Amino acid sequence: MKTKILSLLALVFMTITTLQAQVDRSIQPAPGPAPKINIGKPQSFILSNGLKVMVVENHKLPRVSLNLRLDNPPVVDGDKAGVSDLTGAMLGKGSKTITKDVFNEEVDYMGASINLGAGGGFATSLSKYFNRLVALMADTAINPNFTQEEFDKEKEKSLENIKSEEKNIKSVSRRVKNLLAYGKNHPYGEYVSKETITNVTLADVNKHYQNYFVPDNAYLVVIGDVKFDEVKEVITEHFSNWRKGLAPSISIPNAKNVQFTQVNFIDMPDAVQSEITVVNSVDFKMNDSDYHAALIANKILGGGSLESMLNQNLREAHGWTYGAGSSLRPNKDTQSLFTASTSVRNAVTDSAVVEILNEINHIRTKEISAEKLKDIKAQYLGSFVLAMEKPETISRYALNIELNKLPANYYETFLEKINAVTIADVKRVANKYFLSNNSRIIIAGKGSDVVENLEKIMYNGKKIPVKYFDKYGNPTTKPIFSKPLPKGITAQSVIDTYFKAIGGKNVVSKIKTLGFSGNMNIMGQSMGLSINKMNPNKRAMILTHPQAGVVMKQVFDGEAGYMMQGPNKRPMSAEDIAEAKNKNVMFEELSLDMSKVTLESMTSVKGEDAYKLKVTGSGEPEYRYYSAKSGYLVKTETTKEAQGQKMTISTEYGNYTPTSGIQFPFSMTTKQGPQTFGMIIKKATVNEGVTEADFK
Amino acid sequence: MKKSIIYLASLLLPVSIMAQKVTFEEYDLDNGLHVVLHQDNAAPVVTTSVMYHVGAKDENPERTGFAHFFEHLLFEGTENIGRGKWMGIVSSNGGKVNANTSDDRTYYYEVFPSNNLELGLWMESERMLHPVIEKIGVDTQNEVVKEEKRLRVDNSPYGSFQAEIKKLLFSKHPYRWTTIGSMDHLDAATLEEFQAFNKKFYVPNNAVLVVAGDLNINKTKKMVEKYFGSIPKGKPVPRVSVKENPILTEKKGKYNDPNIQIPAIITAYRTPSMKSRDAYILNMVSTVLSDGKSSRLYKKLVDEKKMALQVGAFGQNLEDYGMYMTFGMPLGDTKLEDLVKEIDEEIVKIQTELITDREFEKLQNKYENQFVNANSSIEGIAHSLATYYLLYGDINLINNEIDIYKSITKEEIRAIAKKYLNPNQRVQLEYLPKEETKK
Repeated sequence: MKTKILSLLALVFMTITTLQAQVDRSIQPAPGPAPKINIGKPQSFILSNGLKVMVVENHKLPRVSLNLRLDNPPVVDGDKAGVSDLTGAMLGKGSKTITKDVFNEEVDYMGASINLGAGGGFATSLSKYFNRLVALMADTAINPNFTQEEFDKEKEKSLENIKSEEKNIKSVSRRVKNLLAYGKNHPYGEYVSKETITNVTLADVNKHYQNYFVPDNAYLVVIGDVKFDEVKEVITEHFSNWRKGLAPSISIPNAKNVQFTQVNFIDMPDAVQSEITVVNSVDFKMNDSDYHAALIANKILGGGSLESMLNQNLREAHGWTYGAGSSLRPNKDTQSLFTASTSVRNAVTDSAVVEILNEINHIRTKEISAEKLKDIKAQYLGSFVLAMEKPETISRYALNIELNKLPANYYETFLEKINAVTIADVKRVANKYFLSNNSRIIIAGKGSDVVENLEKIMYNGKKIPVKYFDKYGNPTTKPIFSKPLPKGITAQSVIDTYFKAIGGKNVVSKIKTLGFSGNMNIMGQSMGLSINKMNPNKRAMILTHPQAGVVMKQVFDGEAGYMMQGPNKRPMSAEDIAEAKNKNVMFEELSLDMSKVTLESMTSVKGEDAYKLKVTGSGEPEYRYYSAKSGYLVKTETTKEAQGQKMTISTEYGNYTPTSGIQFPFSMTTKQGPQTFGMIIKKATVNEGVTEADFK
Repeated sequence: MKKSIIYLASLLLPVSIMAQKVTFEEYDLDNGLHVVLHQDNAAPVVTTSVMYHVGAKDENPERTGFAHFFEHLLFEGTENIGRGKWMGIVSSNGGKVNANTSDDRTYYYEVFPSNNLELGLWMESERMLHPVIEKIGVDTQNEVVKEEKRLRVDNSPYGSFQAEIKKLLFSKHPYRWTTIGSMDHLDAATLEEFQAFNKKFYVPNNAVLVVAGDLNINKTKKMVEKYFGSIPKGKPVPRVSVKENPILTEKKGKYNDPNIQIPAIITAYRTPSMKSRDAYILNMVSTVLSDGKSSRLYKKLVDEKKMALQVGAFGQNLEDYGMYMTFGMPLGDTKLEDLVKEIDEEIVKIQTELITDREFEKLQNKYENQFVNANSSIEGIAHSLATYYLLYGDINLINNEIDIYKSITKEEIRAIAKKYLNPNQRVQLEYLPKEETKK
């Protein structure tokens, strides 16, 4: 596999070999001389109401297009977010002189299209219909007919659309990214919701239209098979009575970056892929002196080709994704966002985050090769040339110069400025714009699959903090993850599996007595522990301090009981007696009323899948967790009131050890509020050594 | 290659009536490769493309996804283009490259500034003659394709409806599976199977080369011979010929998609090959039903009765058969079966009443517009030339297809709707959100 750069010699060689009809395929053909480019300029005129019109004649095909662009600065609509889109949706439905149906019918009849929106509009048709196209577009834009009926319809459609996006992982990710990166009081940070759309009225739409749909900052570009003089006449005739207004100008708040890089996680329980976006804000405009260098740096890092650093790493080397890229686009009104993003399967989410940060840091700290820089510059030359095929290119360039207040020769000097960018420039601007130490890493994905590893990611020698957000960008607590239940699992099957695992229901139901001895750790103190049980519900627990003797005793003899702590003896309450009577003391499962037991979910206990059962009783419900793998009971959890406060008590069971053919958990750790008690069993005895006397 | 001087002002020159026609030269090489050259010196751009007559329908039913997998695999490198170097060569020479696969064919193309025409030809000839097919390439692209499926299908709202419809419409024909295929099949495939697939389908006698744009015909012919002439001819490639029995009773299916909140109802009919006159007529039926805001379905269901958020009817045109579908998303409380009822009413109207003169003229204007726009880019022209030659078997359709549409009568529209769009001939798919697991 050889790819060589051609020299003049090889060119000659190729000519000779052509004659001999033998080709040396190992030589990559060299390019011919570069094509010469001349950028034309559109002709233009301005109407007295401020509308600026540009005309590009192109007679290759008998068609024409009109592009209307309103250059209004972005605004915050606040609790009426969505009024702008609704106004846009109401445009293009006929006018005060032509009903919607007649309008649509006529446009369709011509085989044309006219589409208007909040920011302007677009119309095309065969050039033979140019006059009528302009007339219809102007009429519907300047003279709209906003009816309550249409408004209600569009509002309902809006609400349906919002509903349909609820589970869309990409749109949730995008919404949260914009809100967090720009702030919720920024035009790009606010989002349209059910609530804000519901607030919008027809009067709001009218007001929005009066304020913003004005010719003062508007541009109309006409491209196609038409003559300038004709265009001037027709546009002037139909667009002159568009009234001037003055769109209100509002100051836009500054976007702020975070002080330290952090993960911002949104749980989407059905995701099979995680949407990852690393983002920071920067000031970035087309007339910045670093504009061309930044374009190049961004293209090298993640500019859409498979050659980019991000794709070479995440797609080509690791096969984690179909595509990874970065984006940095100029914005004349406010800050821009630099983003590096990808969608990857759940299992590699944490690795993908690490590698994205690695690549950003690579371009910030290491110099790119001269060859790479040369390649990228060649790509810019290529796209520039390829864009010349489209007549829209001329109008796009002219519009950009106007809107961004660029010098008139901006595009003539574009390639020259691209070629002037150095290796040092690329490194410098990477540090200026790709702020990897002040980034938000927005991740929308399936928490139960990915969060555990996300919380372990190390960056610059420290763990990256993980913060949790809901689908609307509100900070929230870390969700409790549950997994979908496999088919065929029921509360009964879980209990059956448990009995099988511990030795068989028949065997355990025949047990008469159980005795356990071991240790209990309370606040660093190790106490001797003894637990005795007698069928069906007698139990006794004794804690012995090595020096002080018995420090605690808890007893129930089937009818009554007490708790003794030191010298203080307290009888069991009526509720506790009632509960104790009904519970099988050996294995609670033997006395469960299955009609009061429901299978809740599959979740995680100590890193392993476990089925969560809910047992409803007279008091607080109890939750029992059984390992999906072994069938053993691994955790119980309930809420009890003590000293006027509600406390969660949970016990984890482990170290199942067989005695006389039955599996018992030899370690039990109970958490009660802030306190933890660990019990370790050393010995268990079945059906021996326990008498009635033990329960007095 | 001569210097090309482009003045965009040259576009000011008045255009002749014949300028709309796409002119081209075509011929065969000895090895069976069909070559089509289209010259247009207006912009300094040239497209080099190869369409291979192999798609998902040519696959072994136990190895679905091969054709699309190859589209990825054949960028892994050739004997003279190093692994991973393809994209860099294209971009560092100012070009762009892409490929796509369908049920019927696989298409590769590069667009370059015209001073790199020879490079484009070299690259495509390398791909045809001796691509490197090795385990490492197979393993890497296996993961990439899995990600593509997750992105485009599994994680994508309404991403699975195509697969479900195909399963319902086709029981024997290979159209019953999807282009992306089965991940299990790809995992089970051996390196030998991949190499055999390449040997069978990626041969010059199973392909068409199209070069379009700012070129010189004679110089290009010499370069084509230089790079493609010596590629050996392959064995004749068998064509799929599987016939389905007509659908006589309606079939129903259901599918739950976890990515959506709003259900959809899709009805689909199996229709004839895109080459048949009937297929053209069905395109017009679909335009009457759902193209544009004055179309029948849009007007009634979205506008007037406010029953649908979205509604449409469209055909998917393929070589052996077509699929004609209606698609509706309900608004508010509208039931799916009510949407179907309304759509059916409109179909019955087209089957029993002739469309009006005004509607008929509207159709003509729409298709004229489409025709004008179809050939507006060099890239688009190249793809059309390849498609009309290879799949339709009539390259002149690039200029003549509009005449077929112009010749269709109102009576034919009514008769064809009656022939193909009856309820007993169709399948219905309820495309529903995933039910929440009970708490």
